[in-house]
Amino acid sequence: MSPDVAVQQALNGISFGALLFILAAGLSLIFGMMDVVNLAHGAFYMLGAYVTLTLVQRTGQFWPALVLAPLVVGLLGLVIEPLLLRRLRGRHLDQVLLTIGVSLVITDVIGLTFGREIHAIPLPPGLDRSVPILGSDYPVYRLFVVAFGTALAVALAVLHRRTQIGALIRAGVDDAQMLDALGVDIDRLFAITFAVGAALAGLAGVIAAPVFGIFPGMDVDALIYSLIVVVVGGLGTLSGALAGAGLVGPADTFGKVLFPQFALALIFAIMAFILLLRPTGLLGRVRIAR
Amino acid sequence: MRSALALLVAVVPAAALVTFPMWSADWESSRYATTILRDMLILAIFALSLDLLVGSAGLPSLGHAAFFGGGAYAAAVVGQRLQNADLALGLAAAVAVSALLALVVGLFAVRAAGIFFLMLTLAFAQMVFAVAFQATDLTGGSNGFSGVRRPTFLGLDFNGPEPLFQLVACVFLLVLALLWRVRGSTYGRALVGLRENERRMRALGYDTTRLKLSAFVLAGAIAGVGGALSAYALRFVSTNDVGVGRSIEAFVSVLIGGTGTLAGPVIGAAMVLYIERVLPSSIPFAETVLGVVFIVFVLAARQGVVGLVRTVYARARR
Repeated sequence: MSPDVAVQQALNGISFGALLFILAAGLSLIFGMMDVVNLAHGAFYMLGAYVTLTLVQRTGQFWPALVLAPLVVGLLGLVIEPLLLRRLRGRHLDQVLLTIGVSLVITDVIGLTFGREIHAIPLPPGLDRSVPILGSDYPVYRLFVVAFGTALAVALAVLHRRTQIGALIRAGVDDAQMLDALGVDIDRLFAITFAVGAALAGLAGVIAAPVFGIFPGMDVDALIYSLIVVVVGGLGTLSGALAGAGLVGPADTFGKVLFPQFALALIFAIMAFILLLRPTGLLGRVRIAR
Repeated sequence: MRSALALLVAVVPAAALVTFPMWSADWESSRYATTILRDMLILAIFALSLDLLVGSAGLPSLGHAAFFGGGAYAAAVVGQRLQNADLALGLAAAVAVSALLALVVGLFAVRAAGIFFLMLTLAFAQMVFAVAFQATDLTGGSNGFSGVRRPTFLGLDFNGPEPLFQLVACVFLLVLALLWRVRGSTYGRALVGLRENERRMRALGYDTTRLKLSAFVLAGAIAGVGGALSAYALRFVSTNDVGVGRSIEAFVSVLIGGTGTLAGPVIGAAMVLYIERVLPSSIPFAETVLGVVFIVFVLAARQGVVGLVRTVYARARR
């Protein structure tokens, strides 16, 4: 691998990692608060991408999707949590199973509405160029993904550490029952958490749409990648999602270049290896395996 | 006398099932019902094998299709490469491959429990999917493996809908009998002990990790048999057979039928196959129906159809 290809792939890897962070942050947030692994996370991501597709097809505009898609998906989450998940509070496994049903419905409705073919949308205007980096051209959009992911990480960290809602979330992650006993409206907090987690998945769908395309089955890809990220990085913490995405993104990208035959197996091998060494994931707070 | 009666109760429905293509020939000459019932039985075998984990041992696996698909590919590839469609050979290959895959996935998955077990089985099964997708020379990749050879056994040729149905029905009954024996055995009770209280089982001296792993491999091997039958029946194996969708199919069957019973997964498989295969001819949103049915059962009837029937029966007796 020549140096300029290595630089290019490193950037690709970081950019993919940034996307994975946006995707996994929501999954990890919901788990941290509610002890629920949301298996509809991939479907939420897919919905975000299809909202983007609709917007681009109808209006030719991409940028409003960054607000619209998370809003739509977040509102859906705001309905699903009280309507379905709340009825099973305390029964975490059943809540997880419930999200399988939610995912079946969402993906089928999307398939019926948009058809089963692959859609593509152009890169947003202004970011459809390339810039020279160390002698080779590099697409600006991927740099934008890195910047966006970084900004989101900073924003989430500030929100988490410095604001009242962040304090409530941290308290809820530590001991939701105690928070309830202290008079905090835990129902509202859970609903908001679920909605924000869903909205983050929708946001990831928007960001990914111009690069990876929009197609049936994209939900499974997203779900599996986000599960791997949170297992590797550790469940329930923002730093875990960041560490997992930072490792899986570049590893997957370089794997696909260096050994295309085994690329898909590589990230699973990393996951198995991490599980053996650190059953909590790199920076997690719960033991995934014994 | 009682055992003779019990034998009769078991033998008559079994004989009726195996001879179904014969006595149904008059009213369904197109063999549509035979095909649907055949595929239902295959899904039932798959769901029964999963229930050994979900129902008996309390291990919610969401990656069971890896072993179903592994068995399907093994039977298909062996038939093609060895130019030998012997049933025993095909099934042996299916069992070997799926058991081996289950051993590899299980080594990691059984270290986790509950939600985490579900996560790990889902993720690691996807690795098998990835391999099937990429090993194009062996599996046909995204095009699938078509033209699977119909099996032969001791001079019998299972080509044609009727003999193939009878083969599937016989294997289904054998699996049912095997699982019935397992459930009654010390081993089966130890699995239930795992579900009820793993710590106490450890205190009693059971190596619970090994117990879980053995159940995982056994369930995987039976799923592989189901996969091999599916390959023979459809003469086609696709990456869908190792995908998340197939795993969910089995999981939904087990759950809406009723976990921890033999009847539950069979009833659930019948319901799922009806929704996925018969319903789409009248309504386009069958998958949505499946999702809603599943949600309703998780919310309101976690014990499935079998649980509902039991409740109604108990009320009626009071």
